[in-house]
Amino acid sequence: MSNLLDVENLRVKFPTRSGVFEAVRGISFSLNQERLGIVGESGSGKTLTGRAILRLIKRPGVVEADRIDLDGKDILRIPEEEMQAVRGKRISMIMQDPQYSLNPVMTVGSQIAEAYRVHSKASKPEARDRTLDMLETVRIREPEKVYHLYPHEVSGGMGQRIMIAMMLIPEPDLLIADEPTSALDVTVQLQVLALIDDMVRERGMGLILISHDLNLVASFCDRVLVMYGGRIMETLDAKDLHNAQHPYTRGLLDCLPRLDGSHGELQVLKRDPAWLEA
Amino acid sequence: MIRVENLNVTFGDGENSVQAVRNASFTVAEGESFGLVGESGSGKSTVLKAIAGLHSHWTGSIEVDGMALKQKRPRAFRKLLQMVFQDPFGSLHPRHTVDATLKEPLAIHRFDNPEQRILKALDDVGLGPEFRFRYPHQLSGGQRQRLAIARALILEPRVVLLDEPTSALDVSVQAEILNLLVRLRKEQGLTYVMVSHNLAVVAHLCERIAVMNRGVFIEEMTDEQLRSSTPSHGYTRQLLVASKGYDRKAIDRFVEFT
Repeated sequence: MSNLLDVENLRVKFPTRSGVFEAVRGISFSLNQERLGIVGESGSGKTLTGRAILRLIKRPGVVEADRIDLDGKDILRIPEEEMQAVRGKRISMIMQDPQYSLNPVMTVGSQIAEAYRVHSKASKPEARDRTLDMLETVRIREPEKVYHLYPHEVSGGMGQRIMIAMMLIPEPDLLIADEPTSALDVTVQLQVLALIDDMVRERGMGLILISHDLNLVASFCDRVLVMYGGRIMETLDAKDLHNAQHPYTRGLLDCLPRLDGSHGELQVLKRDPAWLEA
Repeated sequence: MIRVENLNVTFGDGENSVQAVRNASFTVAEGESFGLVGESGSGKSTVLKAIAGLHSHWTGSIEVDGMALKQKRPRAFRKLLQMVFQDPFGSLHPRHTVDATLKEPLAIHRFDNPEQRILKALDDVGLGPEFRFRYPHQLSGGQRQRLAIARALILEPRVVLLDEPTSALDVSVQAEILNLLVRLRKEQGLTYVMVSHNLAVVAHLCERIAVMNRGVFIEEMTDEQLRSSTPSHGYTRQLLVASKGYDRKAIDRFVEFT
């Protein structure tokens, strides 16, 4: 029995004037119907990892891996046309900023309906009904009204819900969410996560949640990968995150100001060059 | 040091007008650090901008260091009060070097010894002299925010307004900047007014905290009260719960406060 997703020795490289820069440096992990968190700071390679799985790295960037298997089937070396069928239908990705990821000159309803029609043979009225159902599922009040709005007419929280509706309507097996909530207010952020959580449970999806927020990931996910400098520093069960042993993970946790802490000096992360080797 | 009374800020007019701040009143003592928290659209940044003089359409009274402020601010006011913005990528001129960025306020306010002052300002914020002739794109996010703080402090202000100074930064860099802000306040006896959506950051830096929702000050408390989780208003309690991480049951109980 193969895993839902198997990634082995994934590398993402960019040629620069001063030689090849390796942004993701040989990482391996696998995923089943679970919520996997990838945390790290900016530049740690977490977003590129998500994009590399979907083969969304643009040239001159290069993706190399021993294998990226979805349900035991290679998706790294299949032709681009076949990959088109994987994107959206099998694996979909929620991007960070709805305002940039939605088409500004299409109503949100027709964008979601389009996402559905690309992957099914549904007629236009069917797609429309499905879209309205989906908008209701992501708890948008008055879906009929929202259907005809343009992206600039909706709030950030609603835009992110629309993105989620669009990504979930083809019923993918794996959802990659790249900082899906970091542009939102805390309460809205949690409501959007609760929504993703319900979808994952109800549909038996796998979820990769990419985030810089350790506390959020620890409280939301089942398992966490901690990345630094394009490598995985450690993998642990989310409930054990606060007892993490790796000095990098510890450093990240310790430098957070805490509500129950004092005004004392915060610890500052000391980076060890050895983390980049090994 | 700062006294704000019945501050109202309205954008637009007629039917489309939005009242961003309603009857806000608060005072900040000299040397104190005052925090404003709230979600987006709560009007917290608008309050800061009205004090700084970046919004002119406000009514009510604002007093800083005994000086009653009108819409137009005298030059002495700019020297008294400076501001640090959220986005270190947008708040620096891309074609001005660090040196030029720091020199300009000195020239405007006719300070002597620009040379020494620039070196001292860089040193104060932990940037070495080797950064002096770099452009903003040659600096990391944290270094840029240090530069923005240096630019604010080079005029030796007594009040610094901080608008989400760490929210665009990684947590490890955030810790460095917060430590820097704490140290500078201690050394120079500054008064801070900080706006943030992050309760933990505000509780770390400020002794007194006001919570805003939809333009209204809903409560004011000390950092101790925030820490011991005994805010009186339901909205604040909900914010506290939300900032503690994902808890499915708590989320289902969230309500909207109007």
